[in-house]
Amino acid sequence: MQREVGTLPLAPALRARLAAAGFQTAQELLDTGPCGLSKEIGISREEALEALQVVRQECHGDAARTAGGSGATRKCTALELLEEEQTQGFIITFCSALDNILGGGVQLTKITEICGAPGVGKTQLCMQLAVDVQIPECFGGVAGEAVFIDTEGSFMVDRVVDIAAACVQHCHLIAEAQQEEDLRKALETFSLENILSHIYYFRCRDYTELLAQVYLLPEFLAEHSKVRLVVIDGIAFPFRHDFEDLSLRTRLLNGLAQQLIIIANDHKSAVVLTNQMTTRIGQSQSTLVPALGESWGHAATVRLILHWDNSQRLATLYKSPSQKESTIAYHITSHGFRDVQPPAVTHSTEGPELNPRKRPRTEEEKQ
Amino acid sequence: MVVLRAGLCPGLTEDMIQLLRANGIRTVVDFVSSDLEDVAQKCSLSYKALVAVRRVLLAQFSAFPANGADLYEELKGSTAILPTGSPSLDQLLDSGLYTGEVTELMGAPGSGKTQVCLGIAASVSLGLKQHVLFLDSTGGFTASRLHQMLQARTEDEEEQARQVLGRLRLCFVLQLEALQRIQVVRVFNIYELLSALQELRDHLSQQVVSSMGPLKVVLLDSVSAVIYPLLGGRQSEGLALMMQLSRELKTLAREFSLAVVVTNQVTRDSSSGSLKPALGRSWSFVPSTRVLLESKEATWDKATTQRAATLAKSPRQPTGFQVELDIG
Repeated sequence: MQREVGTLPLAPALRARLAAAGFQTAQELLDTGPCGLSKEIGISREEALEALQVVRQECHGDAARTAGGSGATRKCTALELLEEEQTQGFIITFCSALDNILGGGVQLTKITEICGAPGVGKTQLCMQLAVDVQIPECFGGVAGEAVFIDTEGSFMVDRVVDIAAACVQHCHLIAEAQQEEDLRKALETFSLENILSHIYYFRCRDYTELLAQVYLLPEFLAEHSKVRLVVIDGIAFPFRHDFEDLSLRTRLLNGLAQQLIIIANDHKSAVVLTNQMTTRIGQSQSTLVPALGESWGHAATVRLILHWDNSQRLATLYKSPSQKESTIAYHITSHGFRDVQPPAVTHSTEGPELNPRKRPRTEEEKQ
Repeated sequence: MVVLRAGLCPGLTEDMIQLLRANGIRTVVDFVSSDLEDVAQKCSLSYKALVAVRRVLLAQFSAFPANGADLYEELKGSTAILPTGSPSLDQLLDSGLYTGEVTELMGAPGSGKTQVCLGIAASVSLGLKQHVLFLDSTGGFTASRLHQMLQARTEDEEEQARQVLGRLRLCFVLQLEALQRIQVVRVFNIYELLSALQELRDHLSQQVVSSMGPLKVVLLDSVSAVIYPLLGGRQSEGLALMMQLSRELKTLAREFSLAVVVTNQVTRDSSSGSLKPALGRSWSFVPSTRVLLESKEATWDKATTQRAATLAKSPRQPTGFQVELDIG
């Protein structure tokens, strides 16, 4: 109960008045009572009652926690966390090299950021993940639903239909090969209509709508408790143009990041964001770096940068708490995100040499 | 600025307080700085009673001066130096983390701050068998990575054991115990963080031995994630909360002999283009030691696990000292 008045979540004007009147700890506030409080600092009795309610809530929260109840705090030992992590699933991307460098796939309860130049495949990867999160557990998925928040308008339903059809096809092949009863039962619910009906799509046109949507998201997730993936396609777009006050932008982005990490943690879902690239002009050369500034780089727990090398697409894991930095090549086919075939091609970064992928493509173009 | 209240000390009754207030004396400071003969006449109170009350109030509310020799003896007895698990980092920090102080690790995204924090937690928990509190505000704590680090360390230490089976079991038990000594609390905004610190203070002052054994290190990853949403703009509330937080951390470190480690971001200086620590000048006075972590390569397309640690602020060593770290 010795909580200082300065650390309680009260309005700043009220806090200033309490400090001027000489109150130091929460206990003193509770002892004075609402009438005494309203007389001492000159506020109405209703305001005093409200303030005391907030104080009482905080102090009871503290007391409950000291007594040993866990309740709202997210407190546990590292051992418990390890057990939790080992039973948690991953959202696979159908590109085994990418899954490998991510440590199994996109992790739940973490924010993953995908940065890349235009046209490299960020929205494709997001759509692939929105389909893959729904794979039933017996096939190695997490059997969850997806929320897709679109700010750029690049979500194409026909493409999602293609990706989903390929995914269902893949699962059918596995079920036939293994001939197990529960696999076939799971496939009955895993159909094209089902997949499409479990992707919740929101369209936000500017940053106010985006902030409002993220603010309302916890309530939505409380009603739809099976959601395991939240995709925000284009977090850079509403914040990059027409923003005069840069410090306001940093503040809003950091607040947004905090809200997203709370959502990821409380609902055990993965949050995937896509970001654009910008050029940083150094002293002697210019480099491509992710947009939205240095402080945004700390918001995401895992950062994946997609880039081109001549005509090969590469993915680099730039920031991760548990995996090493590495680069792999991937390919986007009509079925979605896939490995580069054949998988034995490891040195695809050597440009001018004969790349087996390049030849067939030019022949197709000539045809 | 404590308001005079009945029961603050024996001899201070409600009537006395009302009389004093009628004459403009509301707080303790007003009372001890006023002329008591004057007050006794105006409020028609006994001079002896007022002097007695003043003596008790001074004893309760003023700070006691201590001389340097006593302070030195006290520090020698209570300060411990904790190894961080990486010999080059220990060398940079003048043989390790000092308890009673706040140390800051700063760096760009992906520079290895969380990895170094995990390394410190692993080394203190496994090597010294002390408890560790990890306050995570970014969601970057990965228990499997911590487990990996512990595995690497126990294998080094148990090389002398003869029986292979016995060694494996011993390693496993050591790792489990080490994991149990690390407590993780997830705090995602400033009020939750302040509540968690208050709870820690209550635990330590009541000496509840249940889950929080001999605590030596508190790691906060990262402090800028909780404070950045509040700073800037026309409201000064953010600065006030930041200073409140810094006071909590420093008093915790000093009173309970803990080593507090915080991680901070870096921002780009708009005029010179160089990296500088986030949270501004006000925060720069809070940590006594500051270490900057950088990746060895300038761009992100060359992957490496080598990092460079530079000493940016230290009360004991010259700054600019640089060592290499491997966070792999």
